[in-house]
Amino acid sequence: MITLTHYLTLTGILFSLGIVGVLRRKNLLMLFFSTEILLNAVNIGFAAVSKYYGDLSGQIFSFFIIAIAASEVAVGLGLLVLWYKRSGTIDLDSLQMMKG
Amino acid sequence: MEKYLYVALFAPVVGSLFSLLFTAKKKNVITALVTSALLLLSFVSSLTLMFAVHDGLTLHVKLMDWISAGNLNIPFGFMVDNVSVIMMVTVTLVSSVVNIYSMGYMMHDKGYNRFFTYISAFVFAMLVLVMSDNFVGLFIGWEGVGLCSYLLIGFWYEKDTASWAGNEAFIMNRVADLGMLMGLFLIYWQFGTFDYETIFAHAGSMNVSVVATIGLLLFIGAMGKSAQFPFHTWLADAMEGPTPVSALIHAATMVTAGVYLVIRASDLFSLIPEVGHIIATLGAFVAVFAASMALVHRDLKKIIAYSTLSQLGYMFVAAGLGAYWIALFHLMTHAFFKSLLFLGAGNIMHAMDDELDIKKMGGLFKVMPYTAILMAVASFALCGVYPFAGFFSKDKILEAAFNGSNFYIWFALFIGAGMTAFYSFRLIMLVFFGDKVYKKLGFHPHETYPFVLWSLLPLGILSTIAGFFEKPFEAFVTRVLSKYEFSLSHSTEVELIFLTSAFVILVIVATIYKYYKGGFSKQIETMPLYILLKNQYYIPKLYEVAIFKPYYVLSRFAWKQIDVRIIDFSVDLIAKVFYKSGQESRKMQSGNLSDMLRWMIVGTVVLLALAIFYRPMM
Amino acid sequence: MEHILSLIVFFPLVAVFFGFIVSKESAKTFGVTVALVEFLLSIVLWIGFDKSNAGFQFVEYVPLISQFGVSYYLGVDGISLFLVILSTFMTLVSLISLNIKKDIKNLVITILFLEMTLVGVFLSLDMILFYIFWELSLIPMLYIIGAWGSGQRIYAAIKFFLYTFAGSALMLVGILYLGYQYYIATGTWSFSIPDWYLLVLPFSTQLWLFGAFFLAFAVKVPMFPFHTWLPYAHGQAPTVGSILLAAVMLKMGTYAFIRFSLPLFPDASVYFLYPVAIIAIIMVIYASMVAYAQEDMKQVIAYSSISHMGIIVLGTFAMNAEGITGAIFLMLSHGIVSGALFMLVGVIYDRRHTKMISEFGGLATIMPRYAAIFGVVMMAAVGLPLTVGFVGEFLSLLGFYRVNWFMTLLAGTGIILGAVYMLVLFKRAFFGKLVKAENKALKDLDKREFTALIPLVALVVVLGVYPKPILNTIDISVKKMIVLMEKKAVLPDTRELLLRVNSVGGTK
Repeated sequence: MITLTHYLTLTGILFSLGIVGVLRRKNLLMLFFSTEILLNAVNIGFAAVSKYYGDLSGQIFSFFIIAIAASEVAVGLGLLVLWYKRSGTIDLDSLQMMKG
Repeated sequence: MEKYLYVALFAPVVGSLFSLLFTAKKKNVITALVTSALLLLSFVSSLTLMFAVHDGLTLHVKLMDWISAGNLNIPFGFMVDNVSVIMMVTVTLVSSVVNIYSMGYMMHDKGYNRFFTYISAFVFAMLVLVMSDNFVGLFIGWEGVGLCSYLLIGFWYEKDTASWAGNEAFIMNRVADLGMLMGLFLIYWQFGTFDYETIFAHAGSMNVSVVATIGLLLFIGAMGKSAQFPFHTWLADAMEGPTPVSALIHAATMVTAGVYLVIRASDLFSLIPEVGHIIATLGAFVAVFAASMALVHRDLKKIIAYSTLSQLGYMFVAAGLGAYWIALFHLMTHAFFKSLLFLGAGNIMHAMDDELDIKKMGGLFKVMPYTAILMAVASFALCGVYPFAGFFSKDKILEAAFNGSNFYIWFALFIGAGMTAFYSFRLIMLVFFGDKVYKKLGFHPHETYPFVLWSLLPLGILSTIAGFFEKPFEAFVTRVLSKYEFSLSHSTEVELIFLTSAFVILVIVATIYKYYKGGFSKQIETMPLYILLKNQYYIPKLYEVAIFKPYYVLSRFAWKQIDVRIIDFSVDLIAKVFYKSGQESRKMQSGNLSDMLRWMIVGTVVLLALAIFYRPMM
Repeated sequence: MEHILSLIVFFPLVAVFFGFIVSKESAKTFGVTVALVEFLLSIVLWIGFDKSNAGFQFVEYVPLISQFGVSYYLGVDGISLFLVILSTFMTLVSLISLNIKKDIKNLVITILFLEMTLVGVFLSLDMILFYIFWELSLIPMLYIIGAWGSGQRIYAAIKFFLYTFAGSALMLVGILYLGYQYYIATGTWSFSIPDWYLLVLPFSTQLWLFGAFFLAFAVKVPMFPFHTWLPYAHGQAPTVGSILLAAVMLKMGTYAFIRFSLPLFPDASVYFLYPVAIIAIIMVIYASMVAYAQEDMKQVIAYSSISHMGIIVLGTFAMNAEGITGAIFLMLSHGIVSGALFMLVGVIYDRRHTKMISEFGGLATIMPRYAAIFGVVMMAAVGLPLTVGFVGEFLSLLGFYRVNWFMTLLAGTGIILGAVYMLVLFKRAFFGKLVKAENKALKDLDKREFTALIPLVALVVVLGVYPKPILNTIDISVKKMIVLMEKKAVLPDTRELLLRVNSVGGTK
């Protein structure tokens, strides 16, 4: 039987994976992937808890997140392509223009 | 009569302001003439007042209010009574003589005009001191004479020793003044006023210990001004000033202000004989202590300065024992003969191109006979030889000491009288008689201007005859001061007088004989006692080592270590902590996205932790 | 006469706006004119002042934020009147003495702005308004030190600003808390000082509030050990900055003690009497010693200011009319004397571009007038009778004697130590032989310097001989304040002490 705990464990594992990706990856594309994993980890959590409580608002929230994630990727990838055209790399360390 | 009071008081200040206008200009005889005229005017007014007071007048005027705050009200009030008028006459007389004398003495000095400005200002301050009707008014004059003394000691300010001596005099007086100020504060909070009359009227009903404290504190002030031990070192150093200044300020007038204070406050001091006893003991000690230093000194002026100190000791003995009128009498006669002595010394210095070492003189009688005679007169008066003035005043002090059964005080004074006789005639002999050492050293001494000598004549006469005014003087001042009853039998009195006179004359004769024979051998200079006396008991050195230097070191320490290293450092440390933490945390803003993401995670974790673990207190 | 206080406060501000269009050449003339008018206005205020009225006069009241009781509230009494006149006078004199060429226009504007804030501080009767002026005064001074200073000017300016600012921050908390206390007690908000005077606070509250205000005032005075900003500020500030800083700005702290700490928190003031007195004594002795050790003329005078401020604090905490009146008078006299001394140091600095004492010596020969004026002012600084310095010092110490004789003795050593550092400075700079070649061509005082110095010297003497009109006016307000303190005291000890120190006679 797959209980809520299993779902939340999965969420936790996915979220951790995402965090590690965010922390370790230097490639911007990979960073996007990691962010997506983070968001989707949360989505799973929301859906599971929503099911558990029988409250739909959690699932509605997931949809919102999916929509936001999609738009974020759209804008982000656009910027990424632009950045690649300008600098020829998508390495994270090349983005240091705002250094204080 | 009030107008005489104002004239006497303000004539000097007018003179001072007048010559002030010329201070930056070239030497101008008019300053000397005007100030002399105004001082004489002041003298004449004082004399007029004295006759009026003799006829029973007592003046009391309030010029205007000065300070008022809370319950306190201090006016500029002046009074002329039997005591203050004596002081006025003495001060204005001596200062007139000195002023006229200085016209010759300062003839070639580039600070000519400035000198007369200061002298007149001094006379004004001194008159304020003696004429005030309250303690704070006295304190004004007290500080005023201190200022003028500072300015005049350091008159030749280019000389480092002179300006140093000026500072020393001012600061040492300040130390004593603090005691006096404390006395004034105590007076105010006990009596609610500074007015002499009110205070003296209520002093009897006060707690004796309070009155004693007041008396002691006032006496500390008097010790500073009158250069009593342990404040005595400034007086010898004050001889750096021009000689007329030494005569006027550091012999005749200012230094006697301490004695005057005790006499003025005699109504207080007579309530506290114990304090009076302390005063008398200290006075007797100083009388011998200072005389002993005069025995070996070779500096012409310093010998006379120590002699002044010693004589001030005599005055304090009289004042301390309650013989106020005798103290005042000796104060007056001393003013005459001591200023004469100093001015004579000034003549010698002039003749000897400011040489002060008496061993380098000798045989000057031939070239300056008049000066020699005047100085001899002064010395006789100082030693108390009949019929000169000192005989009457000084003998009375010895009598008073004997009368109060204070035999050790009497004995000290007796020894002191012998020492006085010795150093006075040692000086006379070394300067005026014996080998003409100055010739070998290439000096060309000459007698001074006649008008200068003439100006000394009044002092010479007074030094000779002032003693005969003893009885009228006593009658005059004891109208205000308490009488002093002698309980000695007539025969004892005569014996005492005979004993002292014989002793003094014996010492004089012996001294003259000894120096006539060539004086003491060189060997005496290696004796420990001689060296001790020569170094003034090492007291100046002690002050130097124990006070001046440590104070400087401590001050440096306070600045460099405490202020900069500790206080300012800790203040800056606080600032640095903020600054450093900013510096360090600035590294977070590396501009690297992954760093920022890391910090974001850290922040999330911290916030999560707070959300989970923090329980607000209810 | 109805709006004279607003006029006095804001006239310099209005002038500042016109100052921007004045040409560079006439900037100084403009500044002097404005300062003169302002000074005359303050004199008019004095003439119109009712000497027999101890309360606030010429009061102006306009509610600003009525629901919180914040208002535009001005008034003057005997305590503040002469400090206002001192501010306008010293501004005038310092402007006359001004001889900086660089950015003169900005400097004049800054000084006039500073004048507004200073006058505002002394005239405000609303605590919020007071706080605004109090903090605003920092800005022009920061600017003066930072822009026209020498050497480490930025460091000094920032230190000055941050130090005093940090001190005041706690005061703001105190002000708000006190306003809240007033709200609790009466149900309405008010920040007006006369309202607060009527508020009786419990002892523990007084203690905390006293502490909060104390820090702000102590930094400003400056009291030991919060004084280290002062030597830097003075050391780097231009002459005009030093004059205004020493003559007026330091007085804000001691004024605030008298205006706020004593009447608002009488019990706490009495409770903290001895600690404060000990600090004051340390100030007197310690600052005198440090002054003696200095090698820089200006620093000697800077530290001597701390020493004198110690006596002012002591007089203030004497809690009797003699002491407090004396303290206020000493504020005035110290303003005049320290202003004159800083100006005199400025004179020699302009000529030699150094302030090191060892660089001089024998100046009396070459600059006799300068030496004479320096001498007179120095004598006032060491408190010689018949100069202005004596009256305040005498009264302050006299007042405190009633509280504790031994502490007075210790503080009284200030008159000795003061003479030590002053006379030694004078000797080293003016006496001796003129040896340095650079000094041989020095010029004596010129006309501009004379015009600035003569009024100060005249005041030194005149107020020393006849201080009575000023003392009387101060005294009456001080007495009223002491009565207020006595009424408000919640502890019997406080009342007992106030009664004791305000009465003459009896054995102690």
